[in-house]
Amino acid sequence: MTITSKAQRSWAHAGAMAAILALPLGVAAPAIAQDYPSAEETLDWTIAFGPGGGNDIMARTIIDILTKYDLYPGDIAPENRAGGSGAVGWGYLYAQSGDPYGISTTSGSFVTTPLQADTPWQPEDFTPVALLATDDLVLVVNGSSEIETIEEFIEAAKASPMNIGGTGTVNVDFIVPTLFAQSAGFEFDYVSFNSMADQTTALLSDALDAMVGNPGEILGLIESGELRPLVFSGQNTPAALEGVPTMGDVGHDIGVSMPRGLILAPDAPAAAQDWWIATMQEVVETPEWADYIEGNTLTPTVIYGDDFRVFLETTKNGFEEVLRSVGAID
Amino acid sequence: MRIAFLFVVLAGAVYYTSVAFLDLSFLSRTGRLGPGFFPRIVGVAAIAMTIWVIVDALREGRAPDDESSTWGDVLMLMALAVAYAVLLRLFGGLIATVIYLGLTLSLLNRGHHRQNAVLSIAIPGAVYLLFDRLLNANMPPALFDMPF
Amino acid sequence: MDIFGDLLMGLSVAITPINILYLLAGAMVGMIVGVIPGFGPSAGLAILLPMTFGMDPIGAIMMLAAIYYGAMYGGTITSILLNTPGESATVASTFDGFPLAKKGRAGPALVMQAVASFVGGTVGVIMITVLAPLFAQVSRSFGPPEYFLLALMGMLTLIVMIGQHWKLGLISAMIGFALGTVGVDLETGQGRYTFGSAELIGGIYFIPIAIGLFGLGELFYAFYKGLHKTGTGGIVQYDKEERFWPTAKDWISTRWTMARHSVLGFVVGVIPGAGATIASLMAYSTERSISKTPEKFGKGEMAGLVAPETANNAASSGAMIPLLTLGIPGSASTAVLLAAFLLWGLRPGPLFMEQNPELAWGLIASMYLGNMALLAISIFAIPLFVQLIKVPYRVLGPTVVVICTLGTFSVNASFVETYLMFAAGIIGFFMRLYGFSPAALVLALVLGPLAEEALRQTLTISRGSFMIFVERPASLWIIGVTIALLVLLPLLNQVGKSAGQAEKAGS
Repeated sequence: MTITSKAQRSWAHAGAMAAILALPLGVAAPAIAQDYPSAEETLDWTIAFGPGGGNDIMARTIIDILTKYDLYPGDIAPENRAGGSGAVGWGYLYAQSGDPYGISTTSGSFVTTPLQADTPWQPEDFTPVALLATDDLVLVVNGSSEIETIEEFIEAAKASPMNIGGTGTVNVDFIVPTLFAQSAGFEFDYVSFNSMADQTTALLSDALDAMVGNPGEILGLIESGELRPLVFSGQNTPAALEGVPTMGDVGHDIGVSMPRGLILAPDAPAAAQDWWIATMQEVVETPEWADYIEGNTLTPTVIYGDDFRVFLETTKNGFEEVLRSVGAID
Repeated sequence: MRIAFLFVVLAGAVYYTSVAFLDLSFLSRTGRLGPGFFPRIVGVAAIAMTIWVIVDALREGRAPDDESSTWGDVLMLMALAVAYAVLLRLFGGLIATVIYLGLTLSLLNRGHHRQNAVLSIAIPGAVYLLFDRLLNANMPPALFDMPF
Repeated sequence: MDIFGDLLMGLSVAITPINILYLLAGAMVGMIVGVIPGFGPSAGLAILLPMTFGMDPIGAIMMLAAIYYGAMYGGTITSILLNTPGESATVASTFDGFPLAKKGRAGPALVMQAVASFVGGTVGVIMITVLAPLFAQVSRSFGPPEYFLLALMGMLTLIVMIGQHWKLGLISAMIGFALGTVGVDLETGQGRYTFGSAELIGGIYFIPIAIGLFGLGELFYAFYKGLHKTGTGGIVQYDKEERFWPTAKDWISTRWTMARHSVLGFVVGVIPGAGATIASLMAYSTERSISKTPEKFGKGEMAGLVAPETANNAASSGAMIPLLTLGIPGSASTAVLLAAFLLWGLRPGPLFMEQNPELAWGLIASMYLGNMALLAISIFAIPLFVQLIKVPYRVLGPTVVVICTLGTFSVNASFVETYLMFAAGIIGFFMRLYGFSPAALVLALVLGPLAEEALRQTLTISRGSFMIFVERPASLWIIGVTIALLVLLPLLNQVGKSAGQAEKAGS
């Protein structure tokens, strides 16, 4: 199988990379902090969702890279603490306040769950390490639709309102088309679905006019021409969607996306935060990370430390404003 | 008892319906069916049906209680189950299960001390091995760190 | 023949010693996991997914498919023996499965469900092999209007379930609908009955309620009846006289049941959405409405167990069609399989079978093998499970409480759900005691949100017009079939019955 040989190649590659990476790191680490991280301590890695989900895959990819390149000296214990759309897992990390050995990855729910429920924590409470990537959306129509380009879509939507499907309401799926429509000056009815599978079926059955979704899950349908991509919400179009303009390209940049990043417990020591920033700078340079970004069609957007905290705050406030204006939250 | 249960159901239905009418709107702001549409219909129907059944039951009068039944053991088992739920939160899956089984078996399976002791260690042990070691499934964690 | 060439190629990929080993291991582990209350196929797959990391994709996917089937087979065992469905697709199997066991026919019931699963699963795979492209068309013609109609069809089962205490049955269903509205409203994002709790954002999960109402509720009821004071056995009477193997009558009376519901189940399974659940419910109510002895249903009728079991396994094969031909997971279980495909860098979609023929046909071939392996495993394992019910109830009861509790907890690692299960257990006991219908509650909990969401989506799409239901060909079809099931079948049945009586009277 091609997969196996690919994996073997990357293993061989990994050996070489490890040798190169180990050099600067071996010198740099002691300079940053004398005793962090200690090989004695086990890193308590909270995954706030169940196995197999987007958050889980990202966490395990980072852990694999850390292990493969010997970037972390001690043991790493990943634990799925699922429940309450992330409230349980991040609540656990929140309770580890001040502990440099509690860590977690974030996803969209990190911003949206506190907006929906009375969580004791807010995204900006945690010690930010880095924003690593963002989830962006593609707007697609049925392959048999007469609409070929985003300009035609906007024209048609201005003439008679369209319906656009997405997953959930307190979500980028709702916020992205809402902001885009405001900017482009058309109206639409948003139809909320429980999962990407439900909305894709609805679009294929011609019940929907269009939908937004994460490109990774529908690439197969895009490749075969069943779905036609019109516009992408990220800053750069991923390779798999070559030729599709971004919202910025067509003059309606909205600047909203879901953050996938790394956080430590609140009030973690500065030495730990610095160590992880330095380490993540290594991680994002590895070929495995590039494979992960490509395979999941994420947009690589890397921001470190307090800039990440600012990003989280801006995203949260932006969401809150849009959701409040439509009455989704009060 | 049956009437009491029906009144509990009625109280729940009234509360559910009042929330549906007070907090949830019938139509959404775009004029489509809103979050309160379904709950209001369900709530009103539930209240109406429950009142109907209560009226029927009152008219029939008191039904003779079934003598072949034993309330004592059921209530004890329910109390033990609730205790188990509390123990789980405090001591985690393994310890709570040992305590619960030990207690329940000593009450139900009287006189078989050795069998009870073996079972209340063996069952939690086997479940722990299956869940935690083999399947890597979640076991309830303890609220406090255990010394082991 | 192209298809047979492909299938042979698939078999040659699948039949290697190591792959067969993975298949058998997956089938067995799947079955063990499926037996634990709380772990249906989807939860089982999710927790076992990490076991396949680092394996070769074909071996891994064969193993996952085997886990999927194994959990389907295993899940019914608890439905029959403990009245505890592991997931929504096996709720219908408790309706007659548990009464059968209570009558002392646990052995034959377990054997028949394994055979029914085998027939349903195998017919399903044959239909995938031959008709995949055709059914790909079916799975892409379903949108919200059709799902609403399907959910309504599923609710027809409610009418069947409610039975004589219809007022109490309706109240039970209303409680189920009410519980189904808890959580963030899908359309507006507003919280309904969540009281600010993060655990309730996603709504009330079906599993803890079903385990509590059926499993614990039944257990409390058995204690109320004093069954723990009897020497051996408990709820289920194990009669030494009863034969382990099904009787000739069991086989003969259910052969058409299996044939019918293999096809029906497959077709419903092809529709992405609540496939296996709706398939099993429809199978149960159809079988009852065409039966010559509908009054025996719910009291331990073999056809009432065989129908939903055949249908849910056929549906779980059918659910592979949208996954393989469109890359759309039709059920929670196939969603985990999709995640696994993505993990291996495979991209399911319409070109998937063309681009990865070895993998796709290897998977299909492994489904034939998996069903055979599971039938064999079941036949060997059933005597062990039958032994289980000989354990004195005063010992078995507390053990069931432990396994239900830990099973419920581990699915989502949630204390709230565990408490919900205990609460549902106590409420379930009183419901059972006072003539309410826990089954109607659970069905309403499963179907209510489906119907509500689909209706509201439909009306948003149609801008408030109900005409959409007759404008779309697929929904017209469903309306037609429903009318046929509701009006024509009972009518035909009536005619058949009176003809039979006339004959009797004449002779």
